[in-house]
Amino acid sequence: MASRRNVLKGVGMATIGASLPISGVLAQNAPAAASAAKAPKLLEMEGKAKLAVLGDRPLVAETQAALMDDDVTPTDKLFVRNNGQVPEATRDPKAWKIKVDGEVNTPLDITLGDLVSRFPNVTYQLVLECGGNGRSFFEPEARGNQWTNGGVGCPQWTGVRLADVLKAAGLKSSAVYTGHYGADPTLAGETDKPTISRGMPIKKAMDEHTLIAFKLNGQDLPLIHGAPVRLIVPGWAGSLSTKWLTRIWIRDKEHDGPGMGGFSYRTPKKPIVPGSKGDEKDMAILESMPVRSVITFPADGTKLAAGTRKLDLRGNAWAGDWDIKTVDISIDAGKTWKSAKVNPPANKFAWQRFTASVDLPSSGYYEVWSRATDSNGVTQPFQATNWNPQGYGANPISRIRVLVES
Amino acid sequence: MREITVTHVVVVTLAATFVLLGLDRAGELRPNRPADVPPAAKPAPVAAPAHDPDKGKPPPHNDRPEDLPDGKGRDVTFYTCTACHGVALIKAQGLTRELWDSTFDLMLEKHRMPPVPAAERGEILDYLAATFPPRRRGRGDDNPFK
Repeated sequence: MASRRNVLKGVGMATIGASLPISGVLAQNAPAAASAAKAPKLLEMEGKAKLAVLGDRPLVAETQAALMDDDVTPTDKLFVRNNGQVPEATRDPKAWKIKVDGEVNTPLDITLGDLVSRFPNVTYQLVLECGGNGRSFFEPEARGNQWTNGGVGCPQWTGVRLADVLKAAGLKSSAVYTGHYGADPTLAGETDKPTISRGMPIKKAMDEHTLIAFKLNGQDLPLIHGAPVRLIVPGWAGSLSTKWLTRIWIRDKEHDGPGMGGFSYRTPKKPIVPGSKGDEKDMAILESMPVRSVITFPADGTKLAAGTRKLDLRGNAWAGDWDIKTVDISIDAGKTWKSAKVNPPANKFAWQRFTASVDLPSSGYYEVWSRATDSNGVTQPFQATNWNPQGYGANPISRIRVLVES
Repeated sequence: MREITVTHVVVVTLAATFVLLGLDRAGELRPNRPADVPPAAKPAPVAAPAHDPDKGKPPPHNDRPEDLPDGKGRDVTFYTCTACHGVALIKAQGLTRELWDSTFDLMLEKHRMPPVPAAERGEILDYLAATFPPRRRGRGDDNPFK
């Protein structure tokens, strides 16, 4: 019997930018997948894998599906999203100051060293996902970085619970929302104005998995991932997980920093015509990220040896605040589905690995689709839906393409 | 035969440098290019491993106007937009003129882009709308409501 290694040829040559949209699948003339038209530029940076570069300035790079084939995302494979410039590395991480103020009884102005020693340290495996993940699947294009499914990772984060810190500060009854600030200069180089400042309802801030994190996979945070300290708000748009954290402002109303208004991190309350301008008044803040699955093995574009009649595949699925109930696989564009085996999460907010073995009736070309369903029964749609100008919430069924040689 | 002295070498080198800089109308050889200034190289540490505040930063990145497709308004678009962000972000977009127009507002209102004269804005929008229109032609392409 041929080993998996022998059966799967050409994985290394596979198209990068995998997990393509099933774009135009129901159209008369199905277009080529836009994001796969040409090979992406690959990141060249110490300590980072060759991720797909979406933008150089600011640096934005996504993890190709075939690089996402780990239970726990290694640090070098974690996606990179910056909104501004990367601040200078601090000389003395322990002396880094974090302020907690606003609607609290006892404002804190605490060093990272004191924070680490004063509050219990916890470690969880938590999904961090860019709010715009999947944006490239919208038709027509929505504005912003054109993520496929690679603005996501699930490494281990170590930190203190934000809830413990807020309890120590004592939330006033007027506290309803947070506002987060980091040390990153704006793209224009200003340091006296926030590059981005988003916030969340107090309930999410008090979740035991919302962390002020200082370690990534057991090591000090790398600068590019927010050293020396950042927030991790799992399951919600990554922009809440402020890097280079300096301040948490407790608000008596919804936060109004840069990134909170307009069309930013918002989806329509009532669906709008794709490609239209929309109305800011009809938008609601994106909170939990939607259900999504990615086939991480084999890679998109894999050639299978002649005679191959069975494909063992695996991938990851996750759903913001929710668990994954099922993952289904189809090799015939949804005519028939087969259940994948889905592992339980390492802890809440960790992604879930799935495996499946599908029969391939003959040689030839196959699109292999994966469709995850969350614990609310909400499933991935056939195409990106609820189009919005800045492109949030695109989570169509994902696919890889394989060719069984004759 | 006359000897070549150090003075000769210095004079010739200086002269060559001035000529090169004089011919360098695009400013390739001069520092402080307007669109993007890479961080200055740090001197090598002399003693114990010194703290390097740039360690761990992404590599510097420079774009040139030629990195955008040719067209009327390319240069003003380049210098206006790349004051803050790279051309890769521009090239990844595919928007109607209306959405490019609202993108301009987004940059002015949310990202503190300095004000741009109306004529210049029109020229930039013309370039962007002509060069980076919607390209994904899915089911919405014949939408009866647009």
